Amino acid sequence: MGEGLELVVDRVTKRYGQRAVVDDLSFTVTPGRVTGFLGPNGSGKSTTMKVMLGLASPDGGTARVGDRAYAELPEPSRTVGAALETNAFHPGRSGRDHLRILACATGIAGRRVDEALATAGLADAADQRAGEYSLGMRQRLGLAAALLGDPPVLVLDEPGNGLDPQGVRDLRDLLRGRARRGDTVFVSSHLLGEVEHLVDDVVVINKGKLVTTGSLQELQQRTAVVRSPRPDRLADALRNDAGATVDVVAAGHDGPDAASPHLLVRGLSLDEIGSTAFTAGVELWELSASAGSLEEMFLRWTAATAEDVAAPGATVADQRRDEEVV
Amino acid sequence: MNGWSRSVRAELMKLTSTKMPWAFAVVLLVIAAINAAAVAFGTDMDGSKAFVSTAADQRSLVAFAGNATMIAGLFGAIAVAREYGHLTVIPTFLAEPRRRRAAAAQLVAIAIGGAVVGAVGAALTIVAVAAALPTTDFPFLVSVAGVLQVIGASALCGAAGAVLGAGIGTVVRNVGGAVTGAVLALIVAPPLLVQLVSSAASWVPSSLALVLSGVTDDVGGPAAVAALAAWALVPAAIGVFVVQRRDVV
Repeated sequence: MGEGLELVVDRVTKRYGQRAVVDDLSFTVTPGRVTGFLGPNGSGKSTTMKVMLGLASPDGGTARVGDRAYAELPEPSRTVGAALETNAFHPGRSGRDHLRILACATGIAGRRVDEALATAGLADAADQRAGEYSLGMRQRLGLAAALLGDPPVLVLDEPGNGLDPQGVRDLRDLLRGRARRGDTVFVSSHLLGEVEHLVDDVVVINKGKLVTTGSLQELQQRTAVVRSPRPDRLADALRNDAGATVDVVAAGHDGPDAASPHLLVRGLSLDEIGSTAFTAGVELWELSASAGSLEEMFLRWTAATAEDVAAPGATVADQRRDEEVV
Repeated sequence: MNGWSRSVRAELMKLTSTKMPWAFAVVLLVIAAINAAAVAFGTDMDGSKAFVSTAADQRSLVAFAGNATMIAGLFGAIAVAREYGHLTVIPTFLAEPRRRRAAAAQLVAIAIGGAVVGAVGAALTIVAVAAALPTTDFPFLVSVAGVLQVIGASALCGAAGAVLGAGIGTVVRNVGGAVTGAVLALIVAPPLLVQLVSSAASWVPSSLALVLSGVTDDVGGPAAVAALAAWALVPAAIGVFVVQRRDVV
């Protein structure tokens, strides 16, 4: 279809009781890119997606698909394909019947049922009762349902859960292909290794609040790895002369290549770091973007926000325990 | 086909694409068989078959509408509550995010399903009783018009019972709770209501079913239809109101 629409979440707040599950959250998902929605368990990802799709009412703010709310779309299922729960089907109904019902409800041609089943890799099990499906097959059924109307926008909650390696690759190829043709693809996941190979942009939340958002590549380049024979002097120069945030990491920590102490530098481009080192007369052994470490970045982002919101005396570990309970 | 008609059709497909209709068909067959056995083997206190000796007696025996209300009530409660239990309500509301319309389509489909349950139950009971009557000295005496009235009343009561059960299922969202609620509303509550207000005896679903089946004439036909509709539509309206406001979580 190639006419993806922006997804706009604008200052959305959602409370259950006194607890704000989503707290003044704003971000935009752009067409033609795959956007990963990341956050620890209980951080509010699924609730945000439900607000975006009109399944939960926000206490404040708005969520829009293009220029209107999901419920106001003239043909919602042909505009947004969504897969939110892996078990959203009757176990006694076949996968094909599940999709036939959805096609009927939305006026989608019956032939699309077989096409969607084939695209999702479920054609051979289409007439099997859905209750007999494995987790991976249930994920595929949810994906087939999302693709049924060939929508220009996809909203998928943890679509890679339970898929085998081939399934993960198929999913990645499918979503990358949809983005290439201009569709909007918004995917939540906690499988950071997969996300790293899939997404162009990320939206990271923790405890319902936005932690960071932007191009994954840019975010990765915001943190640079620098090795030098004089790390302390370079760290001082970067901090004092260039205003960077610098962590000195001891040898043997934070990665297999860290045979010597290295610096993690944030707030400067690679060019600016190189110039600062040159001005300070410090030799560089390595200057690279902190690529390949979405997991590290994710843990840093979420740990930082946990500290920000921690009650006096509470530790980050306490906060993480709370999140697991949620 | 417009959006709402499509929604109704999709809801009907939901009802017919699982084994639930077959389970209810078995229940209807069992009830019909019990009626046949009662005719074949049952007697009055004096050992006679007087309870099937007149057209009125036989009509009373085959008047399935009261049973239809209760069985279809369970049908409606289960059909809706399982939507929440199996989370199929999520794709339903994604396909039709205007929830009032989605809920109305579901109620119409369930009313149709309830009407079928009632009509099929009545037809099976009539056939079973007619088949058993040759074991007695009496022929089948109910007129064609009487048979049609019994089937029509059963269909109407089945539809009403299903809508009532669906309303309860929408509010409760749990199959066990919805079934309990339907039993309370259709079986437990009416006698208690009559004990509290004796004049209500003519207005409980079982009495209204007898009126519509032509067995009694405690109240007029239109009044009975209106009262039955009220029994069904009040919980259904509460369900639609609740579903409009509640998050799907």
